[in-house]
Amino acid sequence: MRILRIGPLGITTHRRTFAVGLALLAILAGLLILALTAGKADITILDSIKAAVGIPVGAPADFIVGQVRAPRALTAILVGAMLGLSGAILQSLTRNPLASPDFIGITMGAGTGAVLTLWLVTATSLWITAAGAVAGALLTAALILALSWKRQGIVPLRLILAGIGIGFVAQATTQYILTRMDVHDAQNALGWLVGTTTGRTWTHVTVAAACCAVLVPVVLWNARALRTMEMGDDAAKALGIRVGASRGVLAVCSVLLAAAAVAVCGPIGFIALVAPALALRVTRNAGATLIPSALMGATLLLAADQVSQQMPATLQFPVGVFTAAIGAPYLLWLVWRSSRGGPA
Amino acid sequence: MRQRALIAIAAAVVLLIAIALSLAIGSRVIELSTVWDAIFSFDDTDPEQLIVRDLRVSRTLIGVLAGAALGVAGALMQALTRNPFADPGLLGINAGASLAVVLALTTGFATSFAMQVPIAFVGAGIAAIIVYAIGARGAAAGAPVRLALAGVALTALIQSLVYAVLLVDDSTLDQYRLWVAGSLTGRQAEDVMALIPIVLVAIAAALVASRQLEAVALGEDAARALGVKIGTIRTVVILIVTLLAAAATAAAGPIVFVGLAVPHLARALVGASLPWLLVVSAFGGGALVLVCDVIGRVVARPGEIGVGITTAFVGGLIFAIMARRMKVVEL
Repeated sequence: MRILRIGPLGITTHRRTFAVGLALLAILAGLLILALTAGKADITILDSIKAAVGIPVGAPADFIVGQVRAPRALTAILVGAMLGLSGAILQSLTRNPLASPDFIGITMGAGTGAVLTLWLVTATSLWITAAGAVAGALLTAALILALSWKRQGIVPLRLILAGIGIGFVAQATTQYILTRMDVHDAQNALGWLVGTTTGRTWTHVTVAAACCAVLVPVVLWNARALRTMEMGDDAAKALGIRVGASRGVLAVCSVLLAAAAVAVCGPIGFIALVAPALALRVTRNAGATLIPSALMGATLLLAADQVSQQMPATLQFPVGVFTAAIGAPYLLWLVWRSSRGGPA
Repeated sequence: MRQRALIAIAAAVVLLIAIALSLAIGSRVIELSTVWDAIFSFDDTDPEQLIVRDLRVSRTLIGVLAGAALGVAGALMQALTRNPFADPGLLGINAGASLAVVLALTTGFATSFAMQVPIAFVGAGIAAIIVYAIGARGAAAGAPVRLALAGVALTALIQSLVYAVLLVDDSTLDQYRLWVAGSLTGRQAEDVMALIPIVLVAIAAALVASRQLEAVALGEDAARALGVKIGTIRTVVILIVTLLAAAATAAAGPIVFVGLAVPHLARALVGASLPWLLVVSAFGGGALVLVCDVIGRVVARPGEIGVGITTAFVGGLIFAIMARRMKVVEL
């Protein structure tokens, strides 16, 4: 056991978790350097890093690294981290490794909200789209909760099913809006609905960083409550956790993190599902591992983004295609294993 | 028995009303008497009668056939898996069919509709085997949710593959955009002709197999005692489901929830008797698809929205409400 203290935040962590966190950080740093330097233009590593942090080094590097590669890589890191964190919270709260904001309607609701702003507000600023995504996600989450709440409380499995249904409703609404839009706008919206990291600017980085700066501290503040609640509500109450309030705050944070990720990059699937599960596996922790999940999400998305960029020209797909190709077989395997008597 | 027959007749009447609506309502509303004339005493100088004949008859027939196919396929799936959430759309079977069709379109392999059906059948079959192998292992606790999630995962994977194909190929994207929204438009008379025998034969086969499938649903021991060959009947039913889902998807694009919602409604009316359930589901499925198509023509004037969008909206709500009404033990 090891205790990290930063001001009032105390994070108790196992030695292995700590080591995994450091290893993930190292991998992430390596991937980041790769993301900044790999490409057709011939730019040295040192120049790339200088250009990325804003030190002018000359014509091609300043633009290619400073305006294209750096914001794209940073967006991927931030969005991946938000997705990983969002999934980790949701899986812990529902006590179900299959729960993920992309399958229980939250991501679809955020998409509907964002597309609605693209349709109604002609002057599109990323902040307005983000607000639309957040509103859509919150509304969807409220609807799912209302539909799955009964006298005996929220049953996680019912929540997942209600979410699947509402997800379809949200997707249908999005498609309806697309048919009502101007063709040009619809094309823009479609490109965004696939989930992509191409063409991200410093504005995207700013929006993602701002959302992280607000939400991550709140989540970490409640991390102990989350871990304690996994032992059961009664045990958590006995240990002095205000179960209802903590759960509410954490659920809202999970929804908001997913919504912010959708606002910045569109609905990129499967990261929120896979990252927390992988983090659990490598840290061998019993319960939620928030920081490793976030780091894992960032690593996965940045790696998938690199893979998508290094593909030959005929196979240049948005990063969402690659995350699905990895994530869907994993989910199917999870379902198959749980149907043989393992944990569902 | 008599009560069930009456309900079946009532469902047929509802289907006839839906057919009349589908023939009469569109971006231009046509009098029912004109519709009647267009079919029974056709006058080719009347533009309204031409609209009915050229555009709406084939569209309506496609809707009836696709809806009936999906309704029956859903009822069969639910009986086979003993899973209330089994639906060929939700479980990714329709998505498998659509991936196969998209691949065939890109490679220039499937230019005609008659070619698309067998190709869709292969895609649907592969998806059906995967999802059945993964999700339908007995009736253990949580099985319905697992099957639904397996389907959602499979659909997501297939959609991303479809997208990957489409991004490479603009012309296929153009054809696909309309088709994926579950559109009933743009089908020629010969397409309808190709669809009629497939759907009718498959539904007839389903009716023949239904009594034995009922026995399997009672439990494997009971079925064996009744002399039913369990493995054979399961294989036959999966084949029928795949054929129906493939035909519906090739004709109308991937439509979700018709196979889920209709058999549930039918079960509430006629009870658990599978042959009656299949008959009522066939009528009800046709009626639901037509009504959703008519809604899609009316709400987005002067444009229209594909029937796939309307059914997903209506069906998603029904699904969420069903989830709410389930008891915890059933989950």
